[in-house]
Amino acid sequence: MKYTQNPITFMQYIFLIHGVQVGVGLLTLPRELAEKAGTDGWIALIIGWLFSTLASLIIIQVMKNYPNGTIIDLITHYFGKWCGKIAAVIFILYYAFIGSTIFVREGLFIQFWILPQTNMVILLLLLSIPSYLIVRNNITIVGRYAELVFFMTIWMFFFYFNPLKEAHWLHLLPIIKEGWFPILKAVKTTIFSFLGFEIAFFLYPFLQQKHKASIGIVIANTLTLIVFLIVTIVAFTFYSPDEITQYKEPTINLLKIVEFKFLERLEIVYLSFYIFVISTTVLPIFFVTVFSVSQLFGKQDHSKYVGWLLLLNLVYVFFLPQSFDRNTHFQKMGEPISFLLGYAFPLCLWVYLLLYSHLKRRAIK
Amino acid sequence: MKRWLYATLFIFLIVILSSCGKKAPLEDLTLALILGIDLDDKNNLVFYEINPVFSKEAKKGTESYEVKAKTIRDSRRLFDALTTGEVTAGKIQVLLVGKRVLQHEDWFPILDTVYRNPTFSMSTRVVTVDGPVSKVVVHNPEEKPQLSLHLKALIDKNYDRTRAVKGTLQELHREIYEKGMTPFISEVKKEKNIELAGISLLDNKGKYAQFLNVPESTLLLMLQNKKRHEITLTIPVLPNKDEKNIFHKNVISFAVNKVKTRIKPGYKQNKFQFNISITLTINIVERLFPEEKLNNDQLTAAIEKVLKKQIEDLIKKIQKKKIDPIGLGLYARAYQYTHYKKVENKWGEALAESDVNVSVKIDINSNGAVIQK
Repeated sequence: MKYTQNPITFMQYIFLIHGVQVGVGLLTLPRELAEKAGTDGWIALIIGWLFSTLASLIIIQVMKNYPNGTIIDLITHYFGKWCGKIAAVIFILYYAFIGSTIFVREGLFIQFWILPQTNMVILLLLLSIPSYLIVRNNITIVGRYAELVFFMTIWMFFFYFNPLKEAHWLHLLPIIKEGWFPILKAVKTTIFSFLGFEIAFFLYPFLQQKHKASIGIVIANTLTLIVFLIVTIVAFTFYSPDEITQYKEPTINLLKIVEFKFLERLEIVYLSFYIFVISTTVLPIFFVTVFSVSQLFGKQDHSKYVGWLLLLNLVYVFFLPQSFDRNTHFQKMGEPISFLLGYAFPLCLWVYLLLYSHLKRRAIK
Repeated sequence: MKRWLYATLFIFLIVILSSCGKKAPLEDLTLALILGIDLDDKNNLVFYEINPVFSKEAKKGTESYEVKAKTIRDSRRLFDALTTGEVTAGKIQVLLVGKRVLQHEDWFPILDTVYRNPTFSMSTRVVTVDGPVSKVVVHNPEEKPQLSLHLKALIDKNYDRTRAVKGTLQELHREIYEKGMTPFISEVKKEKNIELAGISLLDNKGKYAQFLNVPESTLLLMLQNKKRHEITLTIPVLPNKDEKNIFHKNVISFAVNKVKTRIKPGYKQNKFQFNISITLTINIVERLFPEEKLNNDQLTAAIEKVLKKQIEDLIKKIQKKKIDPIGLGLYARAYQYTHYKKVENKWGEALAESDVNVSVKIDINSNGAVIQK
């Protein structure tokens, strides 16, 4: 089969999924949670993790029905060629939209915090070059990249233990201040923070040890939960619950107070490194986009579409000036689609496939 | 052909690497290390700035400027008109705020740019100046290091000895917006030299409310469990019988090894109750009276009594001004949430009406190396 030529290992599989989940969203996450549920927001993270893990496991169950193909192959197999094409188009549009939104957001953060005088188009052009070099390769390379970046950047999270010196744990009490309603409202945010696991739809056929697919995706989700929880709890204990909502990116602001004798403004160094973390969100998404395009046209090679995708992105940024407000607006627009594709779609497909195999077995009997 | 294409692309990309375009050599910068804000007699905002001079020809290592401007950002325009290099604010070590500024309720928003602009450092120490800021800024004695270094070291050393607060911009922001506590920053004054006076307590709108001298500041920090490396207290434990008590033969000094403050909030009869219990483990480092006058138990009891009285006085002072630098509101929110929520916007008043019980427990660890008969 074509997918076994460039397989991904169990570790690469975990870090690919985890990488897609942790990205630009983490920078604003503590504020968004605090706006909705105050310092109880961390409970919403755990509930969001439950939902995302459940949806992830359903995805794996769905993919087990057709282990040697992606979701597009699976749909083609069960629903016919045209349904497969439509699914491919939907996934292409969705991932191109999400990928571009995150890519632009990455540029906006770099521009605001590090290079305020640099033109957005140039920043994105410079980011596009290494992106091109990686995405034009097969999934093994993207997987290796995700694994490398994980181990290369994991030390960064230790900086978040530094503000804990001035933590006020009293901020977290009482637990469940205003009842469950605000927490459930925050769950609406957190289920989107965990999005990215649905990339398993495309990773599954490449995975070598398929029996480990479920445990792998649970590990990926849990890693993500740990990262989110550490940053959120540090932000909640460090900032007063009455002030935290004033910081747009509390995750970055937290690092402004970390200072060494030889280094000030750590957040600049950190954010420069964080570009790697964001790239593990953007690159697999770009990969899936162009990979779906090649599947749509029945081509083996996806590399020539990469350049076009990146170019299209640049043209779009060139003609439509970008701002945080517009970008946030796009993000909000994408949320219902993400919800459908990440949560509702796997569930419906799973139920359908269960019924299908059940009926088929009966028919054979 | 392909090689040429790559080469052209490569050159093109190097040309547009724009972030290297604006380099800034240190000598061409004017690094503001101290920023001062004050009001003059006619209530005009005055800004002061001190920066080091990196030039061999200059005789003095620093220069200071004074301008009248509308805002902090606006002042940069005027500083730029005076200094050699471009004025850069990223390295401000100390922000001096005149007491006259603090006596107005709405002064805090003038610091907006400091928080809005990511280039500002959040660990700048904010310090009150009792008296005109100009007197501090022009003070440049020859025997001391640069004022910015001196002031920062002054604050940090006393912070380590639990006598002052760092009062960074970050902390100030938190304390201003936190409803369950009120802000406090260190205070300096210019007498013959610049000296640390104590702590200024501000009310929930940032207005100057109360001054605490250095011993009181230490007590306040103890109540907040903010002991740093060292605490030393000197208190009278014997009645002052001698009329001519020139040598203060009634006092004792001790270093505090460990201090643990436990605060238990309660709610009874429509008001908050706080039980504050402080446990101290101390080493006696100085006693000017013979040991037979007070045995260990009596001494413990005497110290407990004096400390309790001092802390109670401090809390009364705080309650009288309807402020809460200790942060008792945080405890109220954590343990009496529903009651606290009703009064959070006027927490100072709620605290003023509440009952605060203080108990002090002393544990003498050592009496020192000698016995005085």
